[in-house]
Amino acid sequence: MYNDKESQKIVDIIQNYARKHSLFILAYGTGCGAIEIPPTMTSRYDAERFGIRGAATPRQADVLLITGYLATKSLKRVIKVYEQMQDPKYVIGFGSCTINGGMYWDSYNTINVLDKYIPVDVNINGCMPRPEAVIAGFVKLQKQIQEGKADGWDKYKKNLDYYKENQKKIITNWVMPDFNW
Amino acid sequence: MSENNLHNEQKLLNLLEKKFILKGGSVRRERRVEVKVEPKEIVPVLLYAKENSGYTAFTHMSCVDWIEDGEFEVVYILWHPEEKINFFVKTRVSRDNGTLPNIDFIWRQANTYEREIREMFGIQFEGLVGREEFILEDWEHMPPMRRDFDTVKFVEKTYFERPGREDAKDVREYVQERTDEELPDFAKKYSRD
Repeated sequence: MYNDKESQKIVDIIQNYARKHSLFILAYGTGCGAIEIPPTMTSRYDAERFGIRGAATPRQADVLLITGYLATKSLKRVIKVYEQMQDPKYVIGFGSCTINGGMYWDSYNTINVLDKYIPVDVNINGCMPRPEAVIAGFVKLQKQIQEGKADGWDKYKKNLDYYKENQKKIITNWVMPDFNW
Repeated sequence: MSENNLHNEQKLLNLLEKKFILKGGSVRRERRVEVKVEPKEIVPVLLYAKENSGYTAFTHMSCVDWIEDGEFEVVYILWHPEEKINFFVKTRVSRDNGTLPNIDFIWRQANTYEREIREMFGIQFEGLVGREEFILEDWEHMPPMRRDFDTVKFVEKTYFERPGREDAKDVREYVQERTDEELPDFAKKYSRD
């Protein structure tokens, strides 16, 4: 059955439908944006009606939110966490710091463009983005998942050398195991 | 503000002037006293303030980079809980290989500040115990809080830049260009040169 292209298409639709309605966010906050997550989750904006909720460990999570500026020190932890997450996994860059550095663009210890280090599926603009914007970003991600376009995790596997080169340019003392399949 | 209100502040300054050789001292305003001393006088002055004058709380310790004078200024900030007075002890060391006495036997929390200043400015403290690496991880360049550390150049070299922000390089120069406005001296880089 799985060799049949038409059947595979239907399976994909069902799989993607299930995935997009159960997005588990890893409880990992960097920068100042993490403060926007509690109002998004609680009764005022109630993100759970979209199937968005928290997950305790990387292995149970689907979405990695990078909420704001990312110091080089925490980039190391983010890579570690991202590589521990199970496929399919999605990354949302949150706030202008992850897009172009934001107000910390000339800081000596924050990275500027997150997309160069781990593949980002959706960027949410703003400093800070309000919960409405966060939910809009998630809805966009859901749309991408349904269409099968949120394939950052696949891109990471295929272009591993590119991402590793960029990561090791910053993390000079690489004490982590190298990620491979 | 009458002279009487500054009684407690003046009292401390007079005592210190009698006991120690100060490079300068003043009552800046109500509840703020400031003295300048040589590095070797730091420990006696701080001990005297703590044991004899009641400045028991060590609030903060900070560092200023006077690149034009070739010196770092380290400021020790003490607090008198009863009289509510802030006491600033300032000292200056050379920018290259400056060494200061360690004061973490007087207040243990000074150890944290000293380690931070050692990492961020490169000032050494005699006999300071603690890992060399404090906040920065795997840092192998110049201490980043020194004023001759060019962050913009470092960022250009190290990180990626998304195009479209070229005009925001130096806001002051950009504003000057746009408005034909003369920049005041204090806003220019290394203004005293």
